Amino acid sequence: MEVKIALAGNPNSGKTTMFNDLTGSNQRVGNWPGVTVEKKEGRLKGARDVVIQDLPGIYSLSPYTLEEVVARSYLVNEKPDAIINIVDGTNIERNLYLTTQLIELGIPTVVAVNMIDVVRKNGDKIDLKKLGAALGCEVMETSALKGEGSHEAARRAAELAREGRRVEAPSVFDGSVEHAIAHIEESIEGRVDKRYLRWYAIKVFERDEKVLEELKLEPGLWKHIDEHISDCEREMDDDAESIITNQRYAYIARVVSSAVKKKQSGLKMTASDKIDRIVTDRIAALPIFVVIMAAVYWIAMGPVIGTPITDWTNDVLVGEWCMETVRGWMEGAAVAPWLTGLVVDGIIAGVGAVIGFVPQMLILFVMLSILEDVGYMARIAFIMDRIFRKFGLSGKSFIPMLIGSGCGVPAVMASRTIENERDRRMTIMTTCFIPCSAKLPIIGMIAGAFFDNAWWVATSAYFVGVLSIVISGIILKKLKAFAGDAAPFVMELPPYHAPAAGNVLRATWERGWSFIKRAFTVILLSTVIIWFLQSFGSENGAFGMVEDNNNSLLAAVGGAVAFIFVPLGFGTWQATVGAVGGLVAKENLVAIMGVCYGFAEVAEAGDEMWSILAADYSGIAGYSFMVFNLLCAPCFAAMGAIKREMNSPKWTLAAIGYMCGFAYCMSLVIYQLGGLILGQVVFGFWTAVALAVLAGMLYLLFRRNPYGEYGERLRGKRASANA
Amino acid sequence: MLPLSLAEPMVPQSIAKITGKDEVRRHLAELGLVLGEEVKVVSTLGGNVILQVKDSRIALDRELANRIMVRG
Repeated sequence: MEVKIALAGNPNSGKTTMFNDLTGSNQRVGNWPGVTVEKKEGRLKGARDVVIQDLPGIYSLSPYTLEEVVARSYLVNEKPDAIINIVDGTNIERNLYLTTQLIELGIPTVVAVNMIDVVRKNGDKIDLKKLGAALGCEVMETSALKGEGSHEAARRAAELAREGRRVEAPSVFDGSVEHAIAHIEESIEGRVDKRYLRWYAIKVFERDEKVLEELKLEPGLWKHIDEHISDCEREMDDDAESIITNQRYAYIARVVSSAVKKKQSGLKMTASDKIDRIVTDRIAALPIFVVIMAAVYWIAMGPVIGTPITDWTNDVLVGEWCMETVRGWMEGAAVAPWLTGLVVDGIIAGVGAVIGFVPQMLILFVMLSILEDVGYMARIAFIMDRIFRKFGLSGKSFIPMLIGSGCGVPAVMASRTIENERDRRMTIMTTCFIPCSAKLPIIGMIAGAFFDNAWWVATSAYFVGVLSIVISGIILKKLKAFAGDAAPFVMELPPYHAPAAGNVLRATWERGWSFIKRAFTVILLSTVIIWFLQSFGSENGAFGMVEDNNNSLLAAVGGAVAFIFVPLGFGTWQATVGAVGGLVAKENLVAIMGVCYGFAEVAEAGDEMWSILAADYSGIAGYSFMVFNLLCAPCFAAMGAIKREMNSPKWTLAAIGYMCGFAYCMSLVIYQLGGLILGQVVFGFWTAVALAVLAGMLYLLFRRNPYGEYGERLRGKRASANA
Repeated sequence: MLPLSLAEPMVPQSIAKITGKDEVRRHLAELGLVLGEEVKVVSTLGGNVILQVKDSRIALDRELANRIMVRG
């Protein structure tokens, strides 16, 4: 018989580590239906008939975050055969709050007291027998990190599931509350799954909206039940929900005091606290953060590790080994030249250009995953919250942006942890403004062609990205769809610990994989299309492969829409095709422009065509081109991620439309007004438009918020005037 | 009573009152922030605080810290 075991526990209780330990590589990652919360399922190593269902980390069964909604509806509606409840042994009191609720579900439960190695090291003692007797379920000790006890817990859970014994939840609450609950149980018996009776009764007592909606009690019956609840509330002088919460904690405190012996009690300074006093210090926090991030980027992209690896992949692995070898084979086998061209110059060059970024990106993700696993990422969110709140975002929005400096796809996915829907949408819309690593060749090309490789070009690109986020945050926050304060910032800071290699590698792989996957799907297809458009056209009155690029289909298509970019200073078909090619993959832009200018192959930053670019465009036009391509719609893969996370066609279009519109406005202002100041542009119609756009942006930026306090006062005044 | 944002760091405080929306209060309760609970401010950063609650560290922004009153 196949059994389904759910893994449930608080965030940071070591759930992911245990899940990986139990299932190894037998995992299926998907999404929970209808929402973008990750769903992980796997089979127990050595027992293929046991399915382990990983639930998102939750603090209770009262839904606050999307994760809690998902976990609760799974446990209540899909009814797993058993639950393994992972409890952080070093923080047992808070973790048992969820445990008592899980037991009420009546499903066979094994409580796994995790991190038992740390508990022992602290000199604390947990009496498993006493704990189990008090909770009415099996209690086992585990250390998922050390691979200790997890499999025993899973086997025991499977046994309990097969026995199918009913579980008796302990009496947690005071006499009068238990009395009321018993009364409710009687009234709703037969309407719910027998095992879940107690859980439903407690939820009815709490007046849980979702449960009441589901049960559809007759008005007469509800009135009768409500009287009982109200009696309790009067007696205890508190609302029903708080009564349940407080008595739950009181019960847990009693259980813990009898079953857990702490060596050092009370409020001591842990090593984590000592580190936190330094890294979250009022003055030192930001400088420490800057130094750590600088080190991360220096390693991932700097001259010692990042650059040589990227160069080697691009030049040796893709260039010499793959392209030349395949070309040799195909020419040796006398394959038609067009096919050789398609495979070598189209597919391998196109996909290879993308693969060239993988090593650099993986290094960056390894480091970000280490920061996450160690526990520093949560502190970054805390440190940045104070700053981000000023323009309407929460500190949690910063983590996607950090990841966005590597690749936009995992960055957009990382926005999932933001509870508030408005904040999440705003983060998705702005996160791709941060130059991802695929945009670096564009920056390199512009810096090389127009500005003599000046250092400030790259720095200003990041600055433009951050500035765009700030401006967008302020402007969007004053629109109705985003109005309201950023959600309050509450976050548990996990204790610092040494990174676990398994967790870091897995997280890195999951992020990097989303990028590699697209290289072989979307990008493969689009390189073939672009290769076709650029190799074929009509020349001398006949359609076929063209000698001169200017006769290609690509030139025709590009030329037809190039007028759109004339006001931005780069209305040529080559630049237009480059920008469109950038939608496929930003790192493609340079290669495509190289092809358009008639080079078979260009270096990563297009060094060969620098002189042509410098002759064809003014410096400010080059800068405007860069800004447009950094800010406009991201690549298809990132747009796909936006579509998935927004989960609404309307919002997807709004996000992509906003990015394109914003990029157009920024580039217009930079080219027209910057050019005017530098004397590279003469005053004309578009200069006037640019001035109007600038004025409009400043208005949106500095107008009073119609939905903030000012708006409230205004509406108040109007209402009183009308009355 | 004084708001948590003003409480002296590293001194155990007892929670006397939590104001604000039910939803947020419930979430705070899940994290262990309930009436009568002993908490300690570990560090403050521009009004944002890191608290020790039971055996965990919880970060709160200033507005939330202002909603939690302690006996002082």
